[in-house]
Amino acid sequence: MTLYDFLYEIAIFVVILSMTFIASRIFSLIIRGIFRTWVPVVRAHFQRLVSVTIWVIGLMFAFQQLGLRVDFLLLVLGLIGVGALIAIKDTLENIGAKYFSDVYVPFKVGDVIKVAGSSGKVIEINPITTVLLTENEELVSIPNSLFLKEKIENVTPHVWKEILVPITIGSNVSLPEFESEILKACNKIKKYLDERFPPVLTVKSRNRQSVGLVLTLMVKEPGKKNEIIEEINRKISEIEHKIGRGGAQHRG
Amino acid sequence: MGKLSLCTSSQTPLIRFNAGYEGILKKRGLQGKSLDIANFVEGEDYEFTAGGVTRMIFPLLKQMLGRGILENPHWVSLNPIAPETVTIGDITLNHVRLGKERVSGYGQAKETIWKTLHGIQKEPAGSLFWQDEFVDYTYYNRVCSELITRLDEENDFDLFYVHDFQQLPLAQMLHTLKPKIFRWHIPFDESLVPEAWRQSLSLYFNEYDAVIVSCKKYLESLKKFGYNGKAFYIYPYIDQDAYKRPSFGEIELFNKEFGIKQDDRVLLVVARLDPMKGQDGAIKGFSRVAKSFPNSKLVLVGDGSFSSQGIGLSKAERWLSELRELVRKLGMEDRVVFTGHLTHAELQAAYERCELTILPSVLEGFGLVVIEGWLYKKPAIVSSEAGIAELIKHGENGLIFNPRDPSDLADKLSAVLSDQNLALALGENGYKTSQQCSLEKGVKAEAELMQGLVGSEGTRP
Repeated sequence: MTLYDFLYEIAIFVVILSMTFIASRIFSLIIRGIFRTWVPVVRAHFQRLVSVTIWVIGLMFAFQQLGLRVDFLLLVLGLIGVGALIAIKDTLENIGAKYFSDVYVPFKVGDVIKVAGSSGKVIEINPITTVLLTENEELVSIPNSLFLKEKIENVTPHVWKEILVPITIGSNVSLPEFESEILKACNKIKKYLDERFPPVLTVKSRNRQSVGLVLTLMVKEPGKKNEIIEEINRKISEIEHKIGRGGAQHRG
Repeated sequence: MGKLSLCTSSQTPLIRFNAGYEGILKKRGLQGKSLDIANFVEGEDYEFTAGGVTRMIFPLLKQMLGRGILENPHWVSLNPIAPETVTIGDITLNHVRLGKERVSGYGQAKETIWKTLHGIQKEPAGSLFWQDEFVDYTYYNRVCSELITRLDEENDFDLFYVHDFQQLPLAQMLHTLKPKIFRWHIPFDESLVPEAWRQSLSLYFNEYDAVIVSCKKYLESLKKFGYNGKAFYIYPYIDQDAYKRPSFGEIELFNKEFGIKQDDRVLLVVARLDPMKGQDGAIKGFSRVAKSFPNSKLVLVGDGSFSSQGIGLSKAERWLSELRELVRKLGMEDRVVFTGHLTHAELQAAYERCELTILPSVLEGFGLVVIEGWLYKKPAIVSSEAGIAELIKHGENGLIFNPRDPSDLADKLSAVLSDQNLALALGENGYKTSQQCSLEKGVKAEAELMQGLVGSEGTRP
């Protein structure tokens, strides 16, 4: 190997490390932007995980460039990975449970629930735990995984009547006009709804592109919830067509 | 101490431009959406809106600005005939416009709410929240909340102060954690709230960090209703320095304009033209003593509210016709005077010229006109159904009567008109009581409340 070849390989090694550094920074910033609503500590862990992964890949390429074998390095890293997964098993379980509880568990922030011998008002649901405020003004943190294993009682008054329909509209849509159409649509299905609780549209988030809303309806008969959700979604679609561009997106 | 940045909101605007607003702009050579009030002439181009709400908010903002508590306050209100923004000193008035159909629907919904909460709604109102009129009511409030949200992005307010029942849903609509205060200006009797409304009203109320009502009675009722936040009563207040002693010439002018003779004994009612204000009761009560006091005259001051003029409801005109018909039936045409709207100078002359004031309201949030009369040391005869009645010690600083019983009013009128010493004592003691509703006291209470909610002081250096 000539001195020139050696210097060339060193230069490539340095370039790969520099690019790894830049890629790690860029991904870190992207994660911070996309997942800004996550709990900061969880987001920081995720950032670190992605950063470490990028560095491992970058180092492997760099060492390969110098003609070094990476098989042993990969084996060590694999073992470390398995060890890490075992170590954070509980955390992963809680994060997984949070995902499923979003879909299946019948409570939200503001509800009063009883679970695993604790009861209180739900004041926070983060990826790891759900925080309850008890009647004695004590905070109780319940691991999310518990909600998939234990019986939960939601004792919030009238909660069984409640339907929440998340809607997203473009920020160029007139919210007052959109709300008027939604209320008129709800008035047409009022025979299925508890008239003591008129529909309420609440702004949940707002940015330059869109406005996140939740439509709250209270049904007369819980057995008809699915039909009502279908009907109101159909009506929202009609409104979306009526108001045209920048329309609404909704789930049931 | 830092300054507070405040956004306040009321349905009623501070100023009303006279009809033909576009012509006014042309005449003054003005263009643009944002104009200074100094470009216009009061009385010719615009007038300050009468009524308790604006009469409290404006001096409050001015005083708080003057004391360095506030900075750059914004005031959002409904004003279909006005520029988008008007600046008046350091205060920016932001005007919301609605189309005619929306105004009509909104007006009907809020009228139903108002009548129901005053116990005079004839038709069942339980289903209001499912009617198209309520959609318009919601629309108006959402337009306001969107405007306030935009203003907040530009100004980063410290808190929001919402006035009166028309705008109760605003806190639920505003997507912010910043403190929100609500001032309820009309009477609050939880027993009058229909069962079908209780959940919605409770939701709306409980979105506020603090609610202020006008007297102890309403505060108790609000708590019983289920409001869980911080609740206060602060007596309404007026800028007492704004009420000057009129000159002899001004009083003479008032006498001449309304046909009042030198030896006439003037009994004064100051109220907007509305059945709830009980002018009919005052006429009936007066008719029973008119013969005993032959040179007495009942002078009724006031015209329609902003709703009956600014947004096109004709309630005031209908009520005026009914009152004129009642006067005709009682044969009192030469004893009852309808003055319509009075300028502030004329109102001062009316207070100075009168012998006593009557507040005949069937139901009244408070009754600041009693305070105004007291500033001129005039004895007040006050409806038992007015919020201010809790400040009256019967026989000491005023007399209380049942507004649904004309003979009760007649008795109280006779008592004051026939006993000069009683009249003098009631006037003197009333004047002392009026200090409980001074601007000084009101501003202190409101500023303490605001600073307490924001965290002892504002965020501006």
